Amino acid sequence: MSLLVADGITKRFAGITALQDVSIALEEGERVGLIGPNGAGKTTLFNCLLGLLRPDAGSVGFDGQDITRLPVYRRTRLGIGRTFQRVELFSGSSVRDHLLFAHRIRSGTGALWKDVLGLGLPKPAEIERCDALLESLGLGGMGDEPIEALSLGQSRLVEVARALMTQPRVVLLDEPSSGLDRAETDALAETLARIQSEQGFGLLLVEHDVELVASFTERTYVLDFGRLITSGDTPEVMRDPEVRAAYLGDFMAGAQ
Amino acid sequence: MTASVLAAGVLEDTIRAFFQGLPIGAGFALVAMSFVLTYKTSGVFNLAFGAQAFISAATYFELHVRRDWPIWSAVLVAVVLVAPLLGLLLERLIFRHVHASSAVAKLVISLGLLVALPELFKLIVDYNREQPFGAVGIIPDGTTIYRLFGRYPVTRDEIAAFVIVVAAAVALAALFRYTRLGLRIRAVVQSPRMTELNGVNADWVSSGSWMLSSFFAGLAGVLLVPTTSSLGTVLEPTGYFPIVISALAAAALGRLVSLPAAMFGGLLLGVVTTQMRTHVPRDNVILAELQGPALPYVMLFAIIVFWPAIRRQVAGADPLLGVSPPPPALAATSRSKGMTIYTRIMALAFFTAVGIWTFGYANNFWISRITHSVIFSIIFLSIVVFTGLGGQIALCQVTFAAIGAFGAMQFAQRWDISVIVGMLAGAAIAAAVGAVLSIPVMRLGGIWLAIATLAFALFFHDVLVKYSWVGGSLFHGRGVPRPEFLGVDFSSRENFLILCVAILVLVGVLVILIRESSTGMALRALRGSETAAESIGVISWRSRVIVFSVSAGIAAIGGGLLAMEERLVGYEANFDPQTGLFWLVIVVVLGTRTVEGGIQAGVAFVIFPELVLHRWLGLDGAWRFVLFGFAAISFARHPEGLLEHGKRRSQAMMQRMFARRQPAMATAGAPAGAGPTTEAEAETGDEP
Repeated sequence: MSLLVADGITKRFAGITALQDVSIALEEGERVGLIGPNGAGKTTLFNCLLGLLRPDAGSVGFDGQDITRLPVYRRTRLGIGRTFQRVELFSGSSVRDHLLFAHRIRSGTGALWKDVLGLGLPKPAEIERCDALLESLGLGGMGDEPIEALSLGQSRLVEVARALMTQPRVVLLDEPSSGLDRAETDALAETLARIQSEQGFGLLLVEHDVELVASFTERTYVLDFGRLITSGDTPEVMRDPEVRAAYLGDFMAGAQ
Repeated sequence: MTASVLAAGVLEDTIRAFFQGLPIGAGFALVAMSFVLTYKTSGVFNLAFGAQAFISAATYFELHVRRDWPIWSAVLVAVVLVAPLLGLLLERLIFRHVHASSAVAKLVISLGLLVALPELFKLIVDYNREQPFGAVGIIPDGTTIYRLFGRYPVTRDEIAAFVIVVAAAVALAALFRYTRLGLRIRAVVQSPRMTELNGVNADWVSSGSWMLSSFFAGLAGVLLVPTTSSLGTVLEPTGYFPIVISALAAAALGRLVSLPAAMFGGLLLGVVTTQMRTHVPRDNVILAELQGPALPYVMLFAIIVFWPAIRRQVAGADPLLGVSPPPPALAATSRSKGMTIYTRIMALAFFTAVGIWTFGYANNFWISRITHSVIFSIIFLSIVVFTGLGGQIALCQVTFAAIGAFGAMQFAQRWDISVIVGMLAGAAIAAAVGAVLSIPVMRLGGIWLAIATLAFALFFHDVLVKYSWVGGSLFHGRGVPRPEFLGVDFSSRENFLILCVAILVLVGVLVILIRESSTGMALRALRGSETAAESIGVISWRSRVIVFSVSAGIAAIGGGLLAMEERLVGYEANFDPQTGLFWLVIVVVLGTRTVEGGIQAGVAFVIFPELVLHRWLGLDGAWRFVLFGFAAISFARHPEGLLEHGKRRSQAMMQRMFARRQPAMATAGAPAGAGPTTEAEAETGDEP
């Protein structure tokens, strides 16, 4: 049984079919890529997985449970974390606060009075945990920085850290390379690969940057015009002539 | 009597109601188009239109009735001169400088103006004169009745209103369609910052549209006087509320951006109003209420909550909106240890001195004033919760306070239950009402939330209070006893003050606990980014229901205490929706993010007009509306509040002085340069 499954997802917007019968699956601890040219339906699929959109047909499953109709926060609590293409951070908060929020909300008791009387000031153990994660992402010592002081690459790492604090079993990364240059992308990929192999969560990478997907993922799905055109082990997919015609085109031909 | 005769009667009623509805709708349409115009060009949701309409109507009264000017010259000055000039001044002096601020900041400014402008006008024009402005129409012999098609009666006023509005609408449509100004206005609407990046000077676009919309508001102000029942015979800015609310409903039909939709929406709502009055049976209490005062509020609320276009608009936002700098951290969080101790000692000394003076030397008047400020501090903490923690603007805290007051009254009068229990029951009811209300409106957020809550507050004011199960009956009066519980009698002034202080401390601690709790964290996360907050598992509706009901409960406790202090529910004096606007303005100006901010606002609300304005400066107490109303402008630049801003500045200054004394320590840990790091720099400066 796969961990995260999308089965026969179809989504239409006012007559335009954004996704047509798309099925993907992701195993525990696996690194999977989802690529496709602009308008292929990557983000739509992503949003269906996360619960921001409800598919017109098909279902989404997580760990054997049908989550098609669950709201975003329920999916998060089951163990689906995410990052954003356009960085979404909590302005006015420090870097550490982002992690603390995520941890607190994940571990919160639920009862309001307990929460209120719990004198919610962060406990040293929590702070230590946040700082340890920041350290391992290369953001050591930045816990007190206001979030606005960070560069885009660092902000993306904070998003990853925030997602990890919810103890996810799978993290969905939405175009983590957008807005980053080559060196920054490589650094991000390296950090991600390391933390992923340490913690063993599954990873779904929605990407534009074919190089990043090629170097980083084990399997890849390719979307075009809302249809899944191929899938399989990443190196094979990258060699598939249909994929290269639809998407990679001259870029890969030139690279090789 | 046959069925056909009856049907003919119904048909005739329908047609008559249609012709009566058009002029009323024309008034709505005029104000609705003003809303759209300013919203389109400067993103200001200008609730101050009621004030602008009032000023034109009052100017007309001043000139025509008091100074015997002929009608045409009085109209010329009041509508053609004063109204556009006012619009130009507002745009030049205020809104031009904040046009990159958030819609909510602009809404707060317009609320401040709504409070300040009429009072300023009254102070200037009406100084030392007690008699009110009267409601007088501008059409000579306006009540002359004509019969359309020989049978449907309309007055000359109604015909004039309708013709003028249609002419104005046609002129506006031509402006938008055929001129370059129109094109630019449409661009500015989409994204003011983007348009500026494209080299359009948004300033002259907005100047023109403000003059035009203010002219419309002034025109509506004088035209609607004879046809609006809420204005009665005495002209008051609140009399324009029902019109403004109906106009808002009409403008909301076109998502605030479509002028034709605003015009047709206005006409439609006018016709719907009169049709309902004609056809809906009056024997059912709720239906009878719907034909009268409740209708505009119910319409507005329903449109905001159910109209799909608004839901879509909430989803889409200005792409450059996220560029705004975030609110800085609270001054107290960056304060050094020495400063904290110093501040606490000073605060303790101050409160001890006030306490000694109050219980040892103060006369009854001042004890009562101090009790009032403590109670208002409690009420204002509800605004701290909602606006400071929740990051939203609600205009119905006054309603929740009234619910608490009436709760205490009803329980004491009907069942002879302790007022404290009654007050707590009132708080529970208010919290429940808040929770129920939060579900449809909190999803909207921003200006729509503010308007929906205003509609609720006005609905309560115009409809619910009249019911004996809410506002009590004339027979019993609105008396409320002081409490007695745990064997202590709190009926003396001093004892009751102690009780109020104790409750203030409890509520203050509660607010701080909530701020530091996971719920507080969730709220901060939601303010930062709703999508991101949900992605880490924040249940947005739950956080919102909590913040709405906690804030409602706090307001109700304060309202109950206020009733006990005054020994009656002074509804008209204390819990009017207009008063509620002023509450919001004063708290927002002074600081919504801290408990101190709420307390300072409570003290300022009660003590400042008495002590500073009245005793020291010898001014009319109404100046407080003017001062704080205009001070709301500061919200755009200092959303944390003026006191918080001042605190941060003085703290930075003092800590720089510390730092200078210990230069080596100060430079050791501080990053180079830059404004935001001064606090960190100062902090290291104070460590041993």
